[in-house]
Amino acid sequence: MVAIAVCGAGALAAAIWTDVDARTRSRDEHAALVAADRHLAHLRHQVAVTQLAKVATTAKRDALQTSIDSTMTQLASTDGTLTNTNVHAYYQGVGITTLQICLGGVKNAYGQITANNTTQAAKDISAVSGACTQLAGGTSSGLVYPFDFPDPSVILVGRTYYAYATNSVAGNIQIIDSSDLTHWTAVGTALPSLPAWASANYTWAPGVAFLGGKFLLYYAVDVAGTGKECISVATARQPQGPFIDKSTAPLECQQSLGGSIDPAPFLDTNGTPYLVWKSGGPGSSKIWSQQLAPSGTSFVAGTNPLGLLTPGQSWEGGTVEAPNLVTTGGHYFLFYSGNDWNGGHYAVGVATCTGPLGPCTAAPANPILSSGPGVAGPGGESVFADTAGNFWIAFHAWVPGSVGFPNSRGLYLRRLSFSGPTPTVARSG
Amino acid sequence: MGITAGVLFAAALGWLLADQVSARHQFERTRSTLGVTQHRTHSVNAHLAELSRDVSVLKTQVGSDTTALNQDSAQLLGAQTSLSAAQAHVTRQASLITSLQTCLTGVERALNELSVGDQPGAITALNAVSASCSAAEAASG
Repeated sequence: MVAIAVCGAGALAAAIWTDVDARTRSRDEHAALVAADRHLAHLRHQVAVTQLAKVATTAKRDALQTSIDSTMTQLASTDGTLTNTNVHAYYQGVGITTLQICLGGVKNAYGQITANNTTQAAKDISAVSGACTQLAGGTSSGLVYPFDFPDPSVILVGRTYYAYATNSVAGNIQIIDSSDLTHWTAVGTALPSLPAWASANYTWAPGVAFLGGKFLLYYAVDVAGTGKECISVATARQPQGPFIDKSTAPLECQQSLGGSIDPAPFLDTNGTPYLVWKSGGPGSSKIWSQQLAPSGTSFVAGTNPLGLLTPGQSWEGGTVEAPNLVTTGGHYFLFYSGNDWNGGHYAVGVATCTGPLGPCTAAPANPILSSGPGVAGPGGESVFADTAGNFWIAFHAWVPGSVGFPNSRGLYLRRLSFSGPTPTVARSG
Repeated sequence: MGITAGVLFAAALGWLLADQVSARHQFERTRSTLGVTQHRTHSVNAHLAELSRDVSVLKTQVGSDTTALNQDSAQLLGAQTSLSAAQAHVTRQASLITSLQTCLTGVERALNELSVGDQPGAITALNAVSASCSAAEAASG
């Protein structure tokens, strides 16, 4: 009995101990679970905070990259504009230098003119011809001499080209020369003095030919005291002059027709010389031709002027003038200018003629040369052949935007082709 | 007496056994839950570490981007200053060019007036551009 009681007490004690142990282990595990839950909650909070920080930092980084992109775009744009501006400034600088060179030469020439030193004035002008040509638009339009050089007449002597033009500060009739048709140098004046009957400052539209062993310079001139416009002729032993006019009266006047101007000599293929010219003014103009005597200083006795052309096309505006007769391939071509010389509608046309004394018929394709890029109011033309036999047309024109006297009419040269039914002028120089 | 004691003993022992079984069940549940919590803690820890690395990388990027932006901004400011100076230079040169062109045109016209003996016309042409010539002279230094 006692033994049973002891065993029972032992079993009870063991049961109590194991129960307490189980309870203790359960509590401990629960405590560990609570701690683990707290730690997990803390970690989750940290995750949430870190995620917020990541979002904020990502946004900041994205904003910075957007700013960088924007700044780089602005920088590229600014750099591009800066480069363009610097290039522009560079070309401005070149332009300024060119302007200063041209202006310096023109000012020097002006100073020499006022001191009556036309020789030095010619040198001063020649020295800045290149710079002034650039300012007038460069040579692409055919401009080769940027100063006032109206009504040009070009001849080839040996391998040198001589161009003559209306009076300027360089003298009664200007001369410039060139060996390559591109670079021209002022020589001075062809006609240092005028006959007593002629009026100074009104000598223009020269035409030069080599005839009978001498050079003949035909030119238009006002008769002193009357204002009559007539034609005279001077001679020289060399192309650069001096040309001497020993006449006591004009070669041709046609006073009843309003005067005679714009003479241009023409040598036919058999050597017979002719002179073509224009009479009258706007509305009454007419182009004439007459055979010259072998000396070239008078007309063949018993001959009379024969009319070649009167205005008949709308572009002419009632005026035909500045004739220039050319023969090639057995055909005769009369080049002439039409419209108002002092405006932008002035242009060049051509007529086909059966011979030096006409009759002539204006080409339907006229005008063959008119205002265009870099050229305004072209006219006063002169046709010549270069050393290789290629034909050129020399003409004067205003620079677009500076049309009308006292602006300058520079000298232009362009190739001329006779390959088609109507001669064609190259579009550029 | 003996029977009563035996009943009590049996009852006590039964309660103790039942309680022990209950405690063990509770322990097992708690342990299982703790295991899940520890697994989650491990995952969250890994996620937190990854996030922390991302944030660290981002902060490094922000630092370098801030430096780059500062440099680019300084460069932009320099370029804008240079551009302003260049534009001012261009404006001054344009003005000079206008003066020079006007002056040249006037002097050339005066020359052409002289060619036809028109001295008053030449003087008028020169007077018309006198201011431009003076401005060009002054600007050219």
